Amino acid sequence: MSENFRSLETKFLDKTNRISFKYNGKKYYGYKGDTLASALLSNGVHLIGRSFKYHRPRGIMTCGSEEPNAIVQIGGSGSFTEPNVRATEQEIYEGLEASSQNCWPSVEFDVGGINNFISPVIPAGFYYKTFMWPKKLWYSLYEPAIRLSAGLGKSPTQPDPELYDHNHLHCDVLVVGGGISGIIAASISSDNGNNTVLIEDKNSLGGSTIFQDDENFKINDEKSSVWLNNQIKKIKNKKNLTIKYRTSLAAYHSYNYLLARENLTDHKSLNERSNKLRQRLWKIRAKKVILATGAIERPLIFNNNDRPGVMLASSVKKYIDYFGVRCGNKNIIFTNNDSAYETAISLNKKGINVSIVDIRNNSSSMLVKNAKDAGIKIYWNHTVVNTKGYRRIKSIEIMKMSEDGTNVIGSKLNLVCDNLSISGGWTPMVHLFTQSGGKLKFRDSDQVFIPNTATSDQISIGSCNGDFELDDIIKNTISDCKNFLSLSSTDFDLLKVNCSKQKESKNIWLLPNDKPLGKTKPFLDFQNDSTAKDIKLAMREGFRSIEHVKRYTTTGMGTDQGKLANMHALGIISETAGVKMGSLGTTTFRPPYTPLTFGTIVGRNVGTFFDITRKTPMHDWHESHKAKFENVGQWKRAWYYPKENESMYQAVQRESKAARESAGILDASTLGKIDIKGTDASEFLNRVYTNAWSKLGIGKCRYGLMLNEDGMVYDDGVTTRLSENNYLMTTTTGGAANVLSKLEDYLQTEWPELDVWLTSVTDHYATASVCGPNSKNILKKLFPSIEFNDVNFPHMSFKNAELDGINCRIMRISFTGEHSYEINIESKYGKSLWEKCMDAGKEFNITPYGTETMHLLRAEKGFIIVGQDTDGTMTPIDLQMDWIVSKKKYDFIGKRSLYRSDTMREDRKQLVGLLTDNPNEILEEGAQIVLDEKKQPIEMLGHVTSSYFSPNLNKSIALAVVKNGKKLKGQKLLVPMKDKTINVTVSDFIFFDSKNERLNA
Amino acid sequence: MFIITCPFCGERDQSEFSAGGEAHIVRPKQPTELSDDEWADFLFMRKNIKGVQFERWNHAHGCRKWFNVIRDTSNDKIHAVYKMGEKPPVK
Amino acid sequence: MLNINYPKIEKKEYPNLELNIVEPIHKLNLRGKNRDFFTKAGRILSIMLPTEPNTSATIKNISALWLSPDEWMIYGKDIDKNLMLSLDTEISKLNLGSVTDISDQWVLINMKGKNVFEVLSKGSPFDFNKFKNTKNVVVQTLLNHVDVILHHNDRNNIDLFVRKSFSEHLWLWINDSSSFL
Repeated sequence: MSENFRSLETKFLDKTNRISFKYNGKKYYGYKGDTLASALLSNGVHLIGRSFKYHRPRGIMTCGSEEPNAIVQIGGSGSFTEPNVRATEQEIYEGLEASSQNCWPSVEFDVGGINNFISPVIPAGFYYKTFMWPKKLWYSLYEPAIRLSAGLGKSPTQPDPELYDHNHLHCDVLVVGGGISGIIAASISSDNGNNTVLIEDKNSLGGSTIFQDDENFKINDEKSSVWLNNQIKKIKNKKNLTIKYRTSLAAYHSYNYLLARENLTDHKSLNERSNKLRQRLWKIRAKKVILATGAIERPLIFNNNDRPGVMLASSVKKYIDYFGVRCGNKNIIFTNNDSAYETAISLNKKGINVSIVDIRNNSSSMLVKNAKDAGIKIYWNHTVVNTKGYRRIKSIEIMKMSEDGTNVIGSKLNLVCDNLSISGGWTPMVHLFTQSGGKLKFRDSDQVFIPNTATSDQISIGSCNGDFELDDIIKNTISDCKNFLSLSSTDFDLLKVNCSKQKESKNIWLLPNDKPLGKTKPFLDFQNDSTAKDIKLAMREGFRSIEHVKRYTTTGMGTDQGKLANMHALGIISETAGVKMGSLGTTTFRPPYTPLTFGTIVGRNVGTFFDITRKTPMHDWHESHKAKFENVGQWKRAWYYPKENESMYQAVQRESKAARESAGILDASTLGKIDIKGTDASEFLNRVYTNAWSKLGIGKCRYGLMLNEDGMVYDDGVTTRLSENNYLMTTTTGGAANVLSKLEDYLQTEWPELDVWLTSVTDHYATASVCGPNSKNILKKLFPSIEFNDVNFPHMSFKNAELDGINCRIMRISFTGEHSYEINIESKYGKSLWEKCMDAGKEFNITPYGTETMHLLRAEKGFIIVGQDTDGTMTPIDLQMDWIVSKKKYDFIGKRSLYRSDTMREDRKQLVGLLTDNPNEILEEGAQIVLDEKKQPIEMLGHVTSSYFSPNLNKSIALAVVKNGKKLKGQKLLVPMKDKTINVTVSDFIFFDSKNERLNA
Repeated sequence: MFIITCPFCGERDQSEFSAGGEAHIVRPKQPTELSDDEWADFLFMRKNIKGVQFERWNHAHGCRKWFNVIRDTSNDKIHAVYKMGEKPPVK
Repeated sequence: MLNINYPKIEKKEYPNLELNIVEPIHKLNLRGKNRDFFTKAGRILSIMLPTEPNTSATIKNISALWLSPDEWMIYGKDIDKNLMLSLDTEISKLNLGSVTDISDQWVLINMKGKNVFEVLSKGSPFDFNKFKNTKNVVVQTLLNHVDVILHHNDRNNIDLFVRKSFSEHLWLWINDSSSFL
């Protein structure tokens, strides 16, 4: 039976609620409210993982998000498993299974530990230097070997079964951090009518003050923890204040846009979680932000400072005072400042053996006096030069320091311990402040970077702003909040605060040692195993910029982003280079502050909600008739309708023949439709299309080509003149929104004098397009009162009609080259219209066809598809569509560009037809076209834009853009493919019915 | 993501808007009178400065109106918003 | 007879939230800016078109929603073919502005209950804090990346307009979001 380290009473845990969990397969117990780290420590487990590079045993160092070592894999054998979870943040729950990472076969015995012994030959930049040559070994040897040893933890192999979602939140004031300054700020803010949100990453408020039991720290003559506890009770009932627990801020962007992750079920047992959201990402817009993110304690940098049992002094204090867990039976505190004395006094009070090693000569504060009075042994002016113990610290060696602190003198003193609590002072958590674009300044007196100028409406308060003593924190928090919120007074103005004040301080980034640096291992980045030695090596090799040193040595590049010891790296660089730290700057802090799982980032945008889908009114019919769908923009369009075991090719061939031989029907509802009204509608169309519109008769339709101002084809479609001042424009499916926006742009900015109104009616109408020689017969059945002949209803005209008393419009227009009609009806009747057409067409074998057949049929006719046969570099002249460009019109969008020297060049790429010498060979769309395969470098003349096997011509046809193509008709060209070269001949691009006889057939 | 104050609808999230490039580039009334160079200047040349820039924005998912924005491209700070056809406010 | 088909939308209930499709219902788009336009539209509809941004005016069963300084959406149970015809004749035909039937361009989904804004906030970047305490306000914004028009008729009662082709997708999304409140 292992020793129980939870010997102490605590009011912060629910001791009636005992919880079992598994760690590395072994069962342990803890209490509700424990973190995995505190529960393991209470069971005497310190060793958690192996380090990344040298596989050194590592233990729990901290009690928060800065933890570099105690990162574990959560989850058992199911599909839910999460790597890289900090044991110091994970609350235990019934059934929790966790395991060590980066070790094989086990954390106790790890084969990779050999790296520790060969570490002299794997210095910083080892990988960069070693695996450069010989090049051929990279794929066969180096990469597989590196991949095997790289990475922390295992990524899940199954889709994440958990639920995540997103929510927006708007507030007047957001307070980040529920420590004493955050609580005071939230209280002041909400009391003054501000809609306030307070977020706290832990499960309770109070920060480190809530377990501060020291008599030196008093507010209004009460212990600071007692006073704060009362404040917390009060703020929980404030009506303007929302408090979010277990919510950590991930990112702080400009305009006070912040992202925070709320953990909803990670602390609950598995059966309490089913079908509940695991995490929620809050997208917060705050008018004002108050950062109260606190500070984290710095480690000290000395030889072998990474053994399990070496912990931050403040964390040791939290484990005792908050969790009731002692981290060792024989504790040594190693410090350069007063705050660690609070830990010593706490330990001493609870009867736990403790002594202190202090690099300072003396200190005269109340805390130090109390420690002395309690009889705690203090080694002044000493430093630790070595630690011993493999899986857990066993002893340390200390030596006296020289006067200037650069050396050690005298003889070594060996001290036995099972815990070493280190404290190198405090680093304000300015990560979020700098993420938002804020600039830092360096305070020389205690060597900290603190917020200087912010880019948005925000302040930093408390220790994240560089205030470390209770009286300063409270006084400055109140006065800063008053300024920030424009208040003349607050309920806290008369607070009386007492605290111990630190008078002596001393900071040495890299502590001296009796051995040369090369023989020691003073770790800076515990997760990535970079040492002070690595930093110095990088400096010797010429790296100066902190950003470069970071990447070369990987310092600060772990999942903890080097929160603990980045400052020491900076300090060592500045000392070595002889540059002031303030001018060196820091590395860039990037979001997320702590890692986010992908599930949180994507929220519910998975599966059905991965992308938006638009459906036509006839969609259900297509679906029930087994259509395959194609994504066109966000639309789901029927692609083809396979019968029984038909392949796509077979279905398209069948549909294409049917449409030309008898009748086909296409759902054209996705085409963009814009209603244009106003006395200047005709003039407007004159300006936006290349051809002339003024003379288009009422009831007539016309095809139009729209250019960009640079003369390149932008969109096309048929526009119908419904009445004198009313047109209905159609656009391509994909271009609809952009065309409307572009037209609005011209109306609002360039031609505000025009009396024109545009209204999108794309979704208002459903469109069924019936084509083929029998289309007329089908329409006759549906609309018996209309005379369907070329005189009464010629090609390119429209009629209003009624179908069972419902108004609709019939346009006689064609994209297939066949006699064809498009019927527009209010979209609620769309499906019904389609069914009527199918019924009426039954005797003519009316065949529904999809987009693929539509593409094939129009390719036979040489009609372009904007976006397929054009790519933003094709003018109408390049497309051999000179006929549609008005020479008479004074101006239209893009006209001037058609006369630029470049667009008038005769050898531009131009649209042509291509016929393969072997009529059964189908070209691949996108294939390159060349004249001479042997010429080096080979000259690309162009590429295939559309290619099909035409069932109506019984041969393969293709459209292509080819350099100087207009002059190449009859020219033999080559299309080289991976395994063969295809011979082709340039042809006319209208392959079928070039006289347009079928339109009136 | 910044917040843009649409001159018609008020403060809205950036995702409701689309950007339309540099403002105050007037389409020539008589393009055919221009030389290739003059036309190319209208067509292609944009300032794209780091600092305070005059831009066009469209409240695409709101009122669909185009308007002008004075924005500092170095920190996304918006100094002013004004309607099409209005003169930029003097600072 | 032609049948009417709407996307698969039927009444749903969630805690403090009720979702309903309110179709078919007539909707009109009005565009115009001169005084005659306002006078005519006001007289025919018996509603002064609201000129204050993001507001609406409702009389009996007809509402006029401000969409932009020269654009309004008119909808309601009391709109019939005759009313549409007279607007068309007296405004469009006389070139005072434009009147366009957009009844099927949009689908009206009614959302009511205390959790309405909770669901909307999940997919919309719009700040509903003021909006939810004000009646007869309108906002055009994005909901789960889809354009919507929201009309706050009555306390915790929203008429949501979504383009018909998007309606089935958005409906699924609203239901999904409502099931994880």
